[in-house]
Amino acid sequence: MKFVANVDFSGGKLRPLDKSDVDTIIKLYQKQTLAGQSEAASKEHAERLIELSVQMAATQRGLMWAIEVDGQMAGMLSLYDWQPTSLKTLMRLDALPNLDQQKQVDALRSGVDYLAHKYHLRNFSFQCLPEGEEAIIDVIKLAGFEQSARLRDFRRTSQTEFSDILVFNMILTESVEGEQ
Amino acid sequence: MNWNLNTEQYYVRFAHEEDIENIYSLLGTKGVVKHHPKSPMVVEAQAMDEARRMVMQFEAKEAAFWLVEEKATGKVIARIRLQKFNWVSASAQLVLDAFPDSKTPAQIAEIVYAVLTLGYEDLSLHRIEWLLQSTDTRTVELANTFGFQHEGQLNSVVEFDGKWIDYQVYSMLNNDDNWQSAIKNQGFPKA
Repeated sequence: MKFVANVDFSGGKLRPLDKSDVDTIIKLYQKQTLAGQSEAASKEHAERLIELSVQMAATQRGLMWAIEVDGQMAGMLSLYDWQPTSLKTLMRLDALPNLDQQKQVDALRSGVDYLAHKYHLRNFSFQCLPEGEEAIIDVIKLAGFEQSARLRDFRRTSQTEFSDILVFNMILTESVEGEQ
Repeated sequence: MNWNLNTEQYYVRFAHEEDIENIYSLLGTKGVVKHHPKSPMVVEAQAMDEARRMVMQFEAKEAAFWLVEEKATGKVIARIRLQKFNWVSASAQLVLDAFPDSKTPAQIAEIVYAVLTLGYEDLSLHRIEWLLQSTDTRTVELANTFGFQHEGQLNSVVEFDGKWIDYQVYSMLNNDDNWQSAIKNQGFPKA
């Protein structure tokens, strides 16, 4: 059974992860910005991530799409902490340098539209580090997300150090819900 | 580790079997639960279920609940809890259920200080946050008085009674000046 759908956007598509994506996932996950991610991704981590993407989607706990442009994987759009009853989810966007800003915005908007119509989600959020994630912050702002909070020392970065987290949020309007 | 706390005016203690009536009285009062938001309890069986959940969540290390018993009268005036423990980020959320007439800065300062002391010193927490609705003006005022810092808003967190509820985020870190002052003064400001 297929739990992750293909979603087209201008110039590319969102599609499920597959085994051939391992090398690209390793490149994407060299940035250690995920909570609890203490080392750069390895082949085993990437393979486990692909397995996890299927399990997460099957149980509606999360979802991972590869962002594909010109037949090549160039990024990932992921959902974590998907709460179907509260119609909300936390998202994450990772992009290789060759995935330009406009395509990232288009991929994100297409993903949000799909999730709104397929699963009736209405509350989408990102948690970003204040430093080092400026490019992603620019993308999500262009896609319509607005900063709603800065949570102090919300994420532990080492045994003794913490980082603030910027919370960005997009609430879909009542008219979108009404269409459903 | 002793989870039962003893302040000047209160026993801040875990619930026992005889507390079902106290839990029902507290959580059956609209003024206590309306900002969480929840409907008041309407039968005592709900309090029994709540008591079971309190035990289960504590055993799962997800939350710790205390009832606040007034030493002078024996009356339970509030329930306070730390929930959503995140042992990786050393954080937790504070939740307070108190009878409206007991929600004065002097009373609540004593209770919150005792629980935060346990959180920072015994549980090694770094961050304790307090999510409040902006309409809960009295508790917002308490958070400001104690020195919690407003960090922004979480939008549409839960749906209740046909409305989406936003929460204002307040937090106190164990290295905040306001907490260090509270330690030095052995309590929060009461006004």
